[in-house]
Amino acid sequence: MKTHDHAQVQLLRRILLGIVVVLWGALFFRLIQIQVFEHERYQPLSQKNALRLETVAGTRGTIYDKNGEILVENQPVFTVTITPIDYDTSNNQQIASILNIEIDEYMRRIERARRYSRHRPSVLAAEIPFGPYSLLEENRWRLPGIGFRQQDKRNYPSSARASHVFGYLREADLDETQASESIRLGDKIGKSGLELVYDPMLRGGLGERYYRVNALGQSLGEFTLATNERRNPPRGDDLVLTLDEEVQAYAERLMGNSKGAAVVMDPSNGALLALVSSPDVDLTRLAGRLDREYWADINTDSLTPLFNRVTSASQPPGSTLKPYMGMIGLHMGLITPETVVQNTGTYRLGRDYTDLAPPGDYILETSLAFSSNTYFFELMEQMARQGKLDEWAGYLRDLGLGQRTGIDLGSERPGIVPDSSKMDQLFGSKQWGLGDLINLGIGQGVFSVTPIQLAVSTSLLANGGQRVTPHIVSEQIEGGVSRNVLEHPTTPVEWIEEDALEPIHKGMRAAVQNSVVSWLLEVPELEIAGKTGTAQNPRGQDHGWFTGFAPLNDPKVVVVVFKENGGFGSVSAAPIGSLLIEKVLTGTTNRGYVEQHVDDYVPPAPDEDEDEETDRDIEVPQNVEDP
Amino acid sequence: MNPIQDTRWSLVGLWLMLCSIGLIAIYSATQGPVSEFLPAAIQSTFAKQVLVIGLSVVVMIAIQFMNPRVLILLSRIAYPIGILLMIATLWVGKEVNGAQSWIVLFGFNLQTGEIMKPILIMAAAFYISSQRELNLVKPRHFAVVTGLFALPIGLLLLQNDLGTALIFIALYPVLLFWSGFPKGMVLLLTIPPLVGYAALYHWGFGLAIGIMLTLIIISMQKPRWQVLAALAIGASVLLFIQIGLEAVLQPYQVARIRTFIQPELDPQGAGWNVLQAKTALGSGGLFGKGFMEGTQTQLRYLPEQWTDFIFCVIGEEWGFLGAGFVMMMFLVLFWTMLQMMGDQSHPYSQTVILGFMAVYFFHFLINIGSSTGLLPVIGVPLPFVSYGGSSMLTNSIMIAIALNFDRNKRSFSIYR
Repeated sequence: MKTHDHAQVQLLRRILLGIVVVLWGALFFRLIQIQVFEHERYQPLSQKNALRLETVAGTRGTIYDKNGEILVENQPVFTVTITPIDYDTSNNQQIASILNIEIDEYMRRIERARRYSRHRPSVLAAEIPFGPYSLLEENRWRLPGIGFRQQDKRNYPSSARASHVFGYLREADLDETQASESIRLGDKIGKSGLELVYDPMLRGGLGERYYRVNALGQSLGEFTLATNERRNPPRGDDLVLTLDEEVQAYAERLMGNSKGAAVVMDPSNGALLALVSSPDVDLTRLAGRLDREYWADINTDSLTPLFNRVTSASQPPGSTLKPYMGMIGLHMGLITPETVVQNTGTYRLGRDYTDLAPPGDYILETSLAFSSNTYFFELMEQMARQGKLDEWAGYLRDLGLGQRTGIDLGSERPGIVPDSSKMDQLFGSKQWGLGDLINLGIGQGVFSVTPIQLAVSTSLLANGGQRVTPHIVSEQIEGGVSRNVLEHPTTPVEWIEEDALEPIHKGMRAAVQNSVVSWLLEVPELEIAGKTGTAQNPRGQDHGWFTGFAPLNDPKVVVVVFKENGGFGSVSAAPIGSLLIEKVLTGTTNRGYVEQHVDDYVPPAPDEDEDEETDRDIEVPQNVEDP
Repeated sequence: MNPIQDTRWSLVGLWLMLCSIGLIAIYSATQGPVSEFLPAAIQSTFAKQVLVIGLSVVVMIAIQFMNPRVLILLSRIAYPIGILLMIATLWVGKEVNGAQSWIVLFGFNLQTGEIMKPILIMAAAFYISSQRELNLVKPRHFAVVTGLFALPIGLLLLQNDLGTALIFIALYPVLLFWSGFPKGMVLLLTIPPLVGYAALYHWGFGLAIGIMLTLIIISMQKPRWQVLAALAIGASVLLFIQIGLEAVLQPYQVARIRTFIQPELDPQGAGWNVLQAKTALGSGGLFGKGFMEGTQTQLRYLPEQWTDFIFCVIGEEWGFLGAGFVMMMFLVLFWTMLQMMGDQSHPYSQTVILGFMAVYFFHFLINIGSSTGLLPVIGVPLPFVSYGGSSMLTNSIMIAIALNFDRNKRSFSIYR
């Protein structure tokens, strides 16, 4: 080989050194550019990578019953995420089987995650149970690309379902987030029941926190910067309800799946011990991610399980109106407790009105006891003839009928207590007459009330004239410590005199004792007073009503039971009312035969020519809210 | 002759320094808080690296006691053995990260391409320097040298080890340049890859590079046919690539090529690694975040942070002071080795030391170029710093051989 001489070697060496230095210098300048001049640009990028500033919502408040039993609480749920770039596909089968996902579906989800981003975590399986979660978490080190997120969801540990009381949560939509500063997209907010009405109290405040995440999207716990003060999110307020878990659960069991409503209330203050609208929905299936199938089911179900019948089923009160007719009659001076009205079996005014009570002479007390229609037709006729329809309607409203009660559940319907302007509206001005009013005296016709309204009016009878505001929440606990008693006003109805109530009480007590089904209703030592009713229904089987209170001399509880299409109130609704009263007053029930009756009860088929008492079949717009 | 005095201790010091920096970085990259997210096999890399360095010390010392001629003989024997091993790797090799380039030998995972580096250099140098009258323009000589290179390069491509293949490809013109191959021809050889690469960015860049190389050839007063050839080669490469991009390839294929050379175009895909690497370096700033404090490193944002992106770990945790220091060390290494080459009087040892230096330099260039987003992410280790048994051992052996030749420079001969 031709060797290079020394000078030549040194020249070549310098050329090579020159090339090396130039290329090295290029890299070195690049390093200076990135590390020194672009530091300001990359520093926040790495912070953003490693630290996530997250607005966090405080925990939603817990809901307790009156005895401190937990009714609604929060449960952590876990979501599995996947970061495709780090994921090892040889784990497919194993993870799919742990998550209990079909392998085809599993592959679809991975493909979807890949399309979203190969480097960012996507949800692989939302809200998985704790078992699979802990299995995956333990093996996390050998499952690259798999990560977890934790969220809260509502949990219902109670034996009471009370779905219409609690209500459900849903993710806030765009409009709702724009309406409030403290709601972010995707936050869950109350959509019905207490969750809706008390949402501002229950919902935790917003705070901020930094947490560290790695490239796999796994949160590595909270990170506190010494210089940054983080804001802890205030947790939501807890609520203590007036509800009694046991009574509520028992009422739900008695109502079963048939359409209806039951209200158990303390007449002294309006505190609700139980509130049942049946059928109800399974809140646990509405708590997590949307179960579309179930959601569609309950929205299309002909039994309308989402509809709260306690506050919104607006139907004629039937004979349960009679005690109030008596009170108003006495107050107006149209009758005295001794006024006698003869029942001949039919009341004749332009047409015949049937009276199913045994023929004979009736005073107020006995007419209530045997539910004689004649007595109240007579009374209503007098009022109508004297042009006192509006006065009558005013008194009924004083008692809480035909207007919203102010219950803390929302979605209340006002019902209808017709006065002359309402009659004008329904029948046309001057197009109605005496014949259209007689029926109102026995709670039929263009007259409708809700179960909760009847509970308020019955409380008035029981507590001597105090109008209560029915309510479910008694206390709010702020920050888990300070308890605030929530005010629910009670206002006296001035025109009610204690003395005037006596014949009414006696009549209602006798109504239970003398009922043809008194064996189902009577618990002698409890002195149950009550009134059944059957609301005529031109569109199907009649609705059964029961309203009652006990004990007669010192009423502690008011019960209203409404059975939609249940037929006669005495056999459909009253036995349930009797059992509920017994449960509240004695803490237990030992009349299995009544429970058996309730369970076995099947309403009779609707009677074709039942409509005798309704002379004009007016479609009362049930769903129209009063102005 | 005093073996202690004649040893170039500065090179030993550089080796020691780089290995230590590597160990610190590997420790942080695998034993720090990040270890929680790493599989067990990766967590053991630090211990393995310590073992390999220990083994390297033994081998390096052993090499110091060998006569240079024995080393030369060994390298000649090793070439066919190495080729056979590489072929065997194709059949019985172990696949790691898509490249089938490992073979299990005596319980060690050996990357056959790595150990081939000194063997190829020494074999080619031997052939070049042993010819009485080497004129590489002679087709036979040119064919032999080209064949010596083509064989392992082809095998590496079959193994799908693009990184190592690129190093060998880059080495080829360097050795030609040194061994008396006409300079104009060397430049001609570099035209297709350089112009082609630039043209993938933009045809204008390709044109500029082509004209620049042609001007160099003109300034070196090379024959006219070389100038014309340079123009012709440059133009055809440009045309070929332009037609390929515009007419032949599908748009998605063009996009794939573009994102390979310009990863920023695809920040969610190929560009993600580069963005994270630059973020690691950039957020390190002047002084760094501190040992085991780098969030990009410890939170697993860096890919292959114990090998290909180890430089980013250093840059993030030790800042520009640390990363710049490492670069300085490498510059001193290149300078020292060029110095050693210049001190040699025999063309064989000159070629070998230059080849070794070139291997280190190309590794350095591609590795740091990738880490700083100047070059596509090809995935080659940073010598002495990155984790990797075969590459550590090979690189150390090359240092040892260079030390040996350096100490024996006065009496050096390739024949008895």
